[in-house]
Amino acid sequence: MANAHDVQKHEPHEPLGRYLLIYVCILILAAAQFFIAFTHIDAEAMFARMLFVAIAEAILALLFFMHLWAEKRGFLLFVVVFTGFVILVMQFGWTDSHRMEAGAPYSQSKSGTVAP
Amino acid sequence: MHDMSAQAHAAHHAPTGFIRKYVFSLDHKVIGKQYYGLAFFAAIIGMILSWIMRVHLGWTNFAIPGLHLLSKNGAPGDILTPEYYLQLMTMHGTIMVFFVLTTAPFAAFGNFFLPIQVGAEDMPFPRFNMMSFWVTFVSFLVMIAAFFVGDGPSLAGWTQYAPLSAVGPAAGPGQGMGEVLWASSIAIFCVGQLLGSLNFITTTLDMRTQGMSLWRMPLTTWAWFITSVMGLTAFAVLMPACILLVLDHVAGTSFFVPSNLVINDQLQPHSGGSTLLWQHLFWFFGHPEVYIAIVPAMGIVSHILMANIRRPLLSHRALIYSMGAIAVLSYMVYGHHMFVSGMNPISSIAFSFPTLVITIPATIIVLIWLGSLYGSKIRLNSACLFSLGMISMFISGGVSGFFLAQPSLDIMLHATYFVVGHFHFVMAVAAMFGIFAGTYFWFPKMYGRMMNETLGKIHFILTFIGAYCIFMPFHYLGMAGNVRRYQAFTDDYLQPLIPVHRFITIAAVATGAVQAIFLYNFIHSRFWGKPAPENPWEATSLEWSTTSPPPFDNFGGKLPVVYHDPYQYGVEGPAGDYVMQTDPTQIQLESDEA
Amino acid sequence: MSQADLTMSHPAHPPGMTIGLAPFSVSANKMAIWLFIIADAATFAACLVAYGFLRNGTANWPRPFHSIVNVSVMTFILLTSSLTMLLGVRAAKAGDKSGAFRWTMITAVMGILFAALHIREWMGLIDEGMSMFHNPWGTGLFGASFFSITGLHLLHVTGGVVALLAVGFRYMGGRYDADDLEVTGLYWHFVDLVWMFVVPFVYLLNLAH
Repeated sequence: MANAHDVQKHEPHEPLGRYLLIYVCILILAAAQFFIAFTHIDAEAMFARMLFVAIAEAILALLFFMHLWAEKRGFLLFVVVFTGFVILVMQFGWTDSHRMEAGAPYSQSKSGTVAP
Repeated sequence: MHDMSAQAHAAHHAPTGFIRKYVFSLDHKVIGKQYYGLAFFAAIIGMILSWIMRVHLGWTNFAIPGLHLLSKNGAPGDILTPEYYLQLMTMHGTIMVFFVLTTAPFAAFGNFFLPIQVGAEDMPFPRFNMMSFWVTFVSFLVMIAAFFVGDGPSLAGWTQYAPLSAVGPAAGPGQGMGEVLWASSIAIFCVGQLLGSLNFITTTLDMRTQGMSLWRMPLTTWAWFITSVMGLTAFAVLMPACILLVLDHVAGTSFFVPSNLVINDQLQPHSGGSTLLWQHLFWFFGHPEVYIAIVPAMGIVSHILMANIRRPLLSHRALIYSMGAIAVLSYMVYGHHMFVSGMNPISSIAFSFPTLVITIPATIIVLIWLGSLYGSKIRLNSACLFSLGMISMFISGGVSGFFLAQPSLDIMLHATYFVVGHFHFVMAVAAMFGIFAGTYFWFPKMYGRMMNETLGKIHFILTFIGAYCIFMPFHYLGMAGNVRRYQAFTDDYLQPLIPVHRFITIAAVATGAVQAIFLYNFIHSRFWGKPAPENPWEATSLEWSTTSPPPFDNFGGKLPVVYHDPYQYGVEGPAGDYVMQTDPTQIQLESDEA
Repeated sequence: MSQADLTMSHPAHPPGMTIGLAPFSVSANKMAIWLFIIADAATFAACLVAYGFLRNGTANWPRPFHSIVNVSVMTFILLTSSLTMLLGVRAAKAGDKSGAFRWTMITAVMGILFAALHIREWMGLIDEGMSMFHNPWGTGLFGASFFSITGLHLLHVTGGVVALLAVGFRYMGGRYDADDLEVTGLYWHFVDLVWMFVVPFVYLLNLAH
């Protein structure tokens, strides 16, 4: 059974270089979001790209800033699967949002004005 | 090394001052009893509210003496106004769901027994644990305060559907200050449950004693663990929903109120919000909440049943897996509360399927119970009887769930007494029976005295019959089209049903009165009961290997070492037909599951 | 499993405490902060879903942001503060007490700076006529969801700054150790992580074109 000292072993002094590398990567991704904001694409595509970049940023931060990569794989799975599952099952309601413009079904149906 | 867990060490000199010992105690056992007391008090209030409602439903013009003292405007001449009926109904539902069914089987028994059952001195964060109770207590006070502020508590039902809950005083009495208090109270409650869940999970994962592997944890511990995992995220979603609801009232926002809403010929100032958003957020919490109430009861009943049928259940692991599956599925079925809400019909299918699937683990659990009972030599004490009662209630309520899970049938049955009967059986009464079973079983350990068995059996028989008399007719009423949340039945087609309502009212008042036996038994046994031995039920788990009641650090300075699976019944042991978890005896048996 | 469990060498601590790291080899403190983070992630996700839901259901959602200067500076500061936090924890693990304290304080100062810029931004919007449910650009829901989500985040930043200061000073005073600093750091990184989602959805999607 593991004891307190094993935890220290999992966390060797991380090379400064890796922190800086991850930091720069996240900065670049953040900048990419700003870049996407100024491209001329429709709102849905913009949303999808920004979400994609934000998830990439979040993964980097989770794994390396928050050291999930250095924890046991079981713990990584626990956190990622649990959180991911809960956030995923929150998405059931979306179809109702399109249908309920101004709170009533198709009350002011205007295709194209539906923002993401 | 760790400041917070160091507290657990530091705290382990028994406090001497009254306040630290009994009020702001860091001891998980005292906190568990505080939760139990809160739930007990809340249950009495909730029951009285249900009496008032039931009497009103049976005899609409019957004056209940003294009722005007509760609210001058709500009950002029001691007769409920329609609005005040709804206000009492809201409070009955809220108090029962949050402050009884969540706190008693989960927070109260869990706090007291989870650390003992895993062999820990305390939880890792005693201060959080204390805060958890006191935050819940404050939330309860805020909720009760609504009775005495302005025109009384909210009338929007425990589900608080928007826009009724969000438009403010225009919606009726209690929708101003009462509603703000309701939403604030529940937001505070969520904080308390979050702190509790943190403690439960870390205790289960990190504080187990030597030899207590995960598979050696009793089923109660598993149930509390699974429940706290559900509670962690479910309450985390309810909290922002309640805060948004408060903002709709105090900050003039309109998250949940649509445009162009006219109430009493008045155009409402709100605009743009969505009523369905509230339902999505609420039921995302609300459905796991149903299982937060019932899963601990499942664990408690399994735990007690085995001690009384003197053999392990057919499968320890299948039961754990089933409870886990219920927890996972509970997040994916929440839309079955919204079949007739105007939700996208395609979503109804997406929610109906997992709803039918979730009956599979529930059925597995029931079959494990029934199969284990078959051919056993059962000890029919009060705790066991209430466990059997819980199984009976759970089956009766579960069967009606099959009907409601299908959108086509639900369209007819939705918002009728059929639904009321269904959830009262499967969630409320079943969990109450679990609480009673737990009380009769653990009372000796909690208070060091035995409860009176004869009174316990009388209490069981009368409560069992009473519960069926109350809730079985609900199903017939629902099928006859009796809509819920009506304060009187004046329509032609509802008139013939009034005698059924009167029967239910009589049964409800009688069954409620029967609880006085329990109250008497509890108080009398607490002070004058027979002193309890260490292990009165010849049970095997760790709570029975320490004194009754356990000392401040649970095991008298020496943590137990665990050698066996939790339920070694029906084997040759040194003291009888069981071997305790702490007993180093080798067991000659084929059914060593772990 | 059963025999292996029992025959293992008896550790120096009382048995209940030593097993504390199974099954994830994570201490109770770290476990607790992770559980809090999971719950908080659900809270923020619910807020963002609610915002998206309302935005979807509203024709002509306002897009009032003209300048990205303020938000990009804020983002840069918050991301950098995550790096300084890391450096602080790293120094603490290496036993460099004053270094750890210094980096922690720098992180806290960056948090304060972030909060100050955030409030400046709020003030600017309020000056332009935006209140909780009224603004010159369109539906009041814009202000409601903007102030709710950024407000919730600002609350987390404020709490984080207080935690950093408290833990930093107590670490210096010897009451807390490197692990406590790490746990605080986890929370701080999470606040940063949430911002990664708030920026694109609350700011960038509402840029005026």
